[in-house]
Amino acid sequence: MKYYVIGDEDTVLGFGMVGVDGRAVSDAAEAEAAFDAATADPEVGILVVTERAAELIRPRVDRYLFSDEFPLIVEIPDRRGRVPGRPTTREMVNKAIGIKLG
Amino acid sequence: MRNVAPTKTNLIRLKDELKFARMGHELLDQKRNILVLELLNLVDQAVEYDEKVDAALAKAYAGLEDSVLAMGKLKVGALAGSIDVTSSIALKQRRVMGVALPVVQTEFKAGGPYYSPLDTSASIDNAVAAFRDALAMLGRSAELRVSIVRLAREVRKTIRKVNALEKIAIPELDETLHYIQNRLEESERDMFVLMKMVKDRLSRPDSEVSQG
Repeated sequence: MKYYVIGDEDTVLGFGMVGVDGRAVSDAAEAEAAFDAATADPEVGILVVTERAAELIRPRVDRYLFSDEFPLIVEIPDRRGRVPGRPTTREMVNKAIGIKLG
Repeated sequence: MRNVAPTKTNLIRLKDELKFARMGHELLDQKRNILVLELLNLVDQAVEYDEKVDAALAKAYAGLEDSVLAMGKLKVGALAGSIDVTSSIALKQRRVMGVALPVVQTEFKAGGPYYSPLDTSASIDNAVAAFRDALAMLGRSAELRVSIVRLAREVRKTIRKVNALEKIAIPELDETLHYIQNRLEESERDMFVLMKMVKDRLSRPDSEVSQG
């Protein structure tokens, strides 16, 4: 299986240099189309999405993240860094199970 | 309280049920503890790892920017096509208390030199190396993240089950059991008194009942 990347042009170009296919997206419709294509491809094992691209189609990404299906999804910061105000992993877990962990 | 007839059969059945519920509660409690422990462990790892990934990506983006500045976007794009690095992912599964967690292994196959050092900037070499490092880390990052999400969901489910047993099912069974027991004892006493009365009457010599 392989990686696939959805994000802005620079991210796709960068990962393209190490042999990862990808699609650059700039609006919600493109992101959705790319996301659909990537999740439908059985060869894609890990889907790398930049946070800003994921933000365009947040409900779909989240739904996929919480399902048991492939591909696995990982969100990365793009060239401009992390999107401020996104919950951290710890906050996400705390919210998910409703109790505070450490 | 459940609406059941206060009979001995029901008493025995409910006693078994209560024992079973208590056992299930204990097991689920243990399961919850194990899952939370595993989850805590994973969250710690993920937080640490996220920082590493962020740093690696920042480095990779900086390298890319350098090479774009040095050679132009078009050229970098063209070179990207000629770079012969392929990555493949091996996915395995690990199970923690019946929850399937992915284990990702990334392998790289790199062919020889991909492009002529003539007319290309050294920064692109750095960028390629940095991106490859970042990609290798992303595999693990995805694994951690997905594991955390799945574990968290399982923990939530388990907590709900534990609470349902502890706060509803077990008290309800307890109450029903008490009710049945009380009713049985009550009817036993009733019977006892009745028997006494019958005996009393039978033993009275002038009683009409004794002759009939």
